[in-house]
Amino acid sequence: MTSTLPAVTTTKVPAQRQPAPETGSARRTSLPDRLRSSRSDLLLCGALLVAILVVQGWNIADYPTLSDDEGTYLAQAWAVQQGKGLAHYTYWYDHPPLGWIQLALLTWIPSLLSPESMTVGSMRVVMLLISAISAVLVYILARRLSLPRWAAGLAMVLFGLSPLSVVLQREIFLDNIAVMWTLVAFTLAASPSRHLWHHFGAGLAAATAVLTKETMLVILPALFLTMWRHSHRDTRKFAITGAVTACVLIGLAYPLFALLKGELIPGGGHVSLWDGVKYQMTRPGSGFILDSASGSHGVLRSWLYYDRVLPLGGLAGALLLLATWRWSVTARSLAGPALTVGILALLALRPNGYLPAMYVIQALPFLALVLAGGTASVAHAVLRRRRGEGEKRYFTGGRYALAAVLAVAAGAYVVPRWYDGDHTAVTADANAPYRAASKWLASEVENPEGTRVLVDDALWLDLVHEGYRPGLGVIWFYKADLDPAVTKTMPHGWKDIDYVVASPTVRRDAVDLPNVKAAIEHSTPVATFGTGDDRIEIRQIQTASGGVR
Amino acid sequence: MLTSIFVAVVSLALFWMAAFTLWWQMHAWRTPEVLASTRFSRPDGDEHVSFSLLVPARHEQAVLDHTIQRLLESTHTDFEIIVIVGHDDPETTDVAASAAERDPRVRVVVDTHEKKNKPKAMNTALPHCRGDVVGVFDAEDQVHPELLAHVDHAFRTTGADVVQGGVQLINFHSSWYSLRNCLEYFFWFRSRLHLHAQKGFIPLGGNTVFVRTDVLREADGWDPNCLAEDCDLGVRLSSIGKKVVVAYDSDMVTKEETPSSLMSLLKQRTRWNQGFLQVYRKKDWQQLPGFGRRLLARYTLMTPFLQAFSGVIIPLNAAVALFLDVPVGIAFLTFLPLVTAAVTFVFEVVGLHDFGKQYGLRVRAVHYLKLVVGGPFYQVLLAGAAIRAVWREQRGRNDWELTSHIGAHLGPAEATRDLREDVPA
Repeated sequence: MTSTLPAVTTTKVPAQRQPAPETGSARRTSLPDRLRSSRSDLLLCGALLVAILVVQGWNIADYPTLSDDEGTYLAQAWAVQQGKGLAHYTYWYDHPPLGWIQLALLTWIPSLLSPESMTVGSMRVVMLLISAISAVLVYILARRLSLPRWAAGLAMVLFGLSPLSVVLQREIFLDNIAVMWTLVAFTLAASPSRHLWHHFGAGLAAATAVLTKETMLVILPALFLTMWRHSHRDTRKFAITGAVTACVLIGLAYPLFALLKGELIPGGGHVSLWDGVKYQMTRPGSGFILDSASGSHGVLRSWLYYDRVLPLGGLAGALLLLATWRWSVTARSLAGPALTVGILALLALRPNGYLPAMYVIQALPFLALVLAGGTASVAHAVLRRRRGEGEKRYFTGGRYALAAVLAVAAGAYVVPRWYDGDHTAVTADANAPYRAASKWLASEVENPEGTRVLVDDALWLDLVHEGYRPGLGVIWFYKADLDPAVTKTMPHGWKDIDYVVASPTVRRDAVDLPNVKAAIEHSTPVATFGTGDDRIEIRQIQTASGGVR
Repeated sequence: MLTSIFVAVVSLALFWMAAFTLWWQMHAWRTPEVLASTRFSRPDGDEHVSFSLLVPARHEQAVLDHTIQRLLESTHTDFEIIVIVGHDDPETTDVAASAAERDPRVRVVVDTHEKKNKPKAMNTALPHCRGDVVGVFDAEDQVHPELLAHVDHAFRTTGADVVQGGVQLINFHSSWYSLRNCLEYFFWFRSRLHLHAQKGFIPLGGNTVFVRTDVLREADGWDPNCLAEDCDLGVRLSSIGKKVVVAYDSDMVTKEETPSSLMSLLKQRTRWNQGFLQVYRKKDWQQLPGFGRRLLARYTLMTPFLQAFSGVIIPLNAAVALFLDVPVGIAFLTFLPLVTAAVTFVFEVVGLHDFGKQYGLRVRAVHYLKLVVGGPFYQVLLAGAAIRAVWREQRGRNDWELTSHIGAHLGPAEATRDLREDVPA
């Protein structure tokens, strides 16, 4: 796919030169009035969904490595379930809370049935539901954007089975939930019935996406474009203003919430929305993505390590579609996704922006859509372009042969790589050290209630279930330096701590956290799990006299 | 706790009321297909239906002649105009008589009822109608010459018993309330009425309404004791399953002007509201098949009640949420009705833009401003009219034996003035 895309098409893509109809939905293959009544669509989509669920679900708890962020969100969801407010530490407007409120709802019933299951590893299962919905929405959206059935299936496969997707979608990230809502918004915006309330719903879904993960804000122009193209001239002004109003009104709920709590603007002794936004806007940059020494470049490499086809192929597809906007019907019907990819790519190219590892998550469905769309364009160019009634048979045969060669070549490139990636995903066990550390702290520490442990967020809930006191007994390690409510319970600094669980995250961040750093320096490992940089050490604090506290 | 529950229940009730009203108000713009279906289809040039056009006129000598002349310009070839005048109104009678002398298609019927109102006048004329279809116009209406041809076509192609054409107030620039009044008509005739026609329960408008003569006679004409005889007729006809078709074309609507003063608008609205309540209490709507339809009927006819209720309760609710200590979650709920109100406002702004486009009128920024700022005040006016209507109806019930005077107990003079309130200044 990547190997064929740039070479074959660029100028040839104008697939059909007919003027785009008013509605903007040029239908290459006829879209059934109701997708759900089309048997072949249902079968294809259902079969692909099963495949995606198997690959994403198998071994989900053990791979990839538990991430600190997963622990953060799930712990906050736990706090919501426990009625402890929006977080078990002071909620400080780092992100809008809707994401983990949804997580709290999703994990509510499982955690009622078995409270100990409320840990990162076991609760990853709920992400399967999100992935499933998103994958189906990618298919529906592809069909609504006039892609032929096979291309919609391709988009779904790219989205659900790329090793990069498998790794990232398994994790409990707010971005995955926000992507689902964004896809809902796009699907409603491209509603074939052009219904006023569908567009209104798209606005609501978009606002939900933004309140789930604020970065979705940057995608809204592309959603607007999609809605514009899929609305009718006569009803457009109502549809679009309705959607915008819905989005703005729901979005305003967040500042309204802060206002009702008296935390909209900074003031003495309390957190504020303003400060939270300021923090996010002024996060130290991770360097230019193309500068090989920068942190951003490292993030890019980590994505490409898992998969090159979807990110690079998708990017090429987006550029191709944007470049052929004037001639190609496919390019126009995929304008929304292509613009999304364009916006996200430009933002990633900021000279010194902050680029988190999960940044690519929000691009995945759109990369998949434009790559599938680009492929459909190429296929159309090869098979149908300038094909007259009286075309010679051998020439037509040549078209099909060329298409077959391209398909086989693409398959030969992609399949082995994806097989390796997905094979790792369903077999590797990356979390044995975490499980062992949790087990050790459960069995080897005599008095959990009276023990204070610095731990990274991913392990926090495990220890809560083992009887440690949430918040001040088992402590998110950075709170020991950053949260006044925690530091005031540690008048002697590191000396008030019993253990530090030094996971890779803790060792990495300790550099900037004096208390955590001192705690590590004044402790000795009593148990070590794993080896090398990935090891997890349980370190016991040694007081100056040489004894343990 | 109790306050919280109260606030939550009231907020949710208000929210659903506003949401449903909004949903229905936007009916025509749901999809491009729905919008297209609200228009008259183009007539095929064939004509089969003959019309009797009723024009009740009372102290309207200034505008009557113009209206008749314009009606006579209709392209349709088979119609008569019956002007109904009162025996105590020589000026209007003179105008009508001279029009009848000039054109044989115009006839004059004199209403000799002691206490006069519009339904009595029209009932007086009903036996004189020779056409297949009776149409009603007010004396100040500006009727499009091709309207009858379109209505003829609509009767033939849809098999309708009733065709309701569009009526549009047009002088949005006159005052802040006429702006809102125009827009109300726009949303009602352009959009919501079509929903009612589709659902099979429709309160008809006062003019540009066409009914098959036999159907009208079977139904005994209009109810002379009802203050909203037009609404009543629609409810009675749709309750017995007659087919009503609504069509709206911006170049085919009957143009009218808003009441000339705030007070006359208030009175007009009070009369309508009270009329709606009377129709509600007549219970004809209970024959409607289907629970959903009856619910729609109940809701539509009770709108004055609900308006009065919300007029009282919204400020109370807001005050409770602001001044009493309620949890953040509950305080959020109190904002729900505000959200629907905001959405309604935005759609009204867009509606005003569309209204300007459809009628080739220039809508300026100041009009949008008036629309938004005037909104709450107009709501107060509506709530006032609703409360007034409820109060009057309630009082009328206390002296039930006087029902036959319902129109009159406003005072005969006042009742006439009410009738004339639609007259352009």
